[in-house]
Amino acid sequence: MYLPRKIIAITTLSVTVVAGIAAVKPANPPDTNFKNLKVLPKNIPSKDLSRIMVDEFQDDLGVSCNFCHAENKDTHKPDYASDEKPEKQIARVMMRMTMSLNKKYFKLKHPVIGDQALEVTCATCHHGKPHPDNTDVQ
Amino acid sequence: MANDDLIISDKNDDGIDRAGFIKCMAWAGTGILWMMNGGVMKSFGMSQMIDKTTGGLKKGLVIPASDFSFVQISDSHVGFNKPANPDVVGTLLATVAKINAMPTAPSFVLHTGDLSHLAQADEFDTLDQVLKTVKTEKIFYVPGEHDVLNGDNKQFLARYGKGTKGDGWYSYDSHGVHFIGLVNVVNTAEGGLGVLGHDQLEWLEDDLKGLSSSTPVVVFAHIPLWAIYPQWGWGTRDSEQALSYLKRFGSVTVLNGHIHQTMQKVEGNITFHTANSTAFPQPQPGTAPAPGPMKVPAEKLRGLLGLTDVHYVEHDHTLAITDTPLMEKM
Repeated sequence: MYLPRKIIAITTLSVTVVAGIAAVKPANPPDTNFKNLKVLPKNIPSKDLSRIMVDEFQDDLGVSCNFCHAENKDTHKPDYASDEKPEKQIARVMMRMTMSLNKKYFKLKHPVIGDQALEVTCATCHHGKPHPDNTDVQ
Repeated sequence: MANDDLIISDKNDDGIDRAGFIKCMAWAGTGILWMMNGGVMKSFGMSQMIDKTTGGLKKGLVIPASDFSFVQISDSHVGFNKPANPDVVGTLLATVAKINAMPTAPSFVLHTGDLSHLAQADEFDTLDQVLKTVKTEKIFYVPGEHDVLNGDNKQFLARYGKGTKGDGWYSYDSHGVHFIGLVNVVNTAEGGLGVLGHDQLEWLEDDLKGLSSSTPVVVFAHIPLWAIYPQWGWGTRDSEQALSYLKRFGSVTVLNGHIHQTMQKVEGNITFHTANSTAFPQPQPGTAPAPGPMKVPAEKLRGLLGLTDVHYVEHDHTLAITDTPLMEKM
């Protein structure tokens, strides 16, 4: 079937544009569907968030998910986005403090919670306890 | 009565080298050998069976024959790489090697949760690759809380939840024993206690209805169904109701993981048992500020990891449940 040159040109141009967009756009965008993030990056990958929750909070503070996260009354599952529990707001303050300490006193340019380069971490003060206490201080 | 079930001499030609098998299990350190006699489970502490000077079975101890066996492994935490064990895949491979070296291949393997450390696709992939090499017919899974992080159990269900109900609970029968896999990690209570939930409890009650009370029942779930140490979340908030449905059965065995150490309790007709992890140990209740990965000297690590082997022997009478080592020959 004979196609006018104009149609062939337009079609070729469209295909080129689409291919160009596809080349730039990442094939697998990050799984960033986490709501109400105020200290951690909004586009934090799932693996990084899970690692912070498990290694920094669970292990370094000896707490489980519902220490900071309220329970959804309907589903009885943790409501990770909810700010109902004050411990969650305290956790945000603690994270900001940690990053500030690393930046101001240890000269880390871009401290990130969970980063191996941090000099001061949650464990530095908490030692596996939700509330640091001074009874072990000599 | 226990002696009636003992083999006086191990001269049968079924090819099972029981003494060698027990030696093999000694690697599991504080592992437990389970045997089911007369429809009830008996557990035998490995440390009480092994002669520490020779490394072999204590003189005079013999192991009853069994009809079928299965293995429980737990808490593989693929993806974990902290000092407590920077090579969890290595210790998991060693566990698989132990299973594959058994004189008789287990009929199946139970994995009681925390397959992965962060519920990531590559962690599940790695686990699947390793467990593909296990010489067994089938592997059954229940999730741990690490497998459903951030409220997402979809990935676990897509991989291991075929044919299950709700958040992944199910049951099946094998060799006359009724097995029930429960999920107590999707909803959690304060302090990290497990929760079974109304829907699952309703299903459990219904699932057990048609069974005769003489049917041996094995229940497996990740978080312990008995209150080991609630301060650390080592218990399940609504397990009492589940256990009430199991009271009428002559033999019930509950197998759990989560606490990365072996513990046992017998309560009436129910024997509770928790398994070692294949990844890293955790402190004993109350001996640390909180539960979590416990670093031990490198040479001691493997002694604190392991698997649980269960043997079932079918008889036509039941025995009271005990938790004792094999009796020495008189």
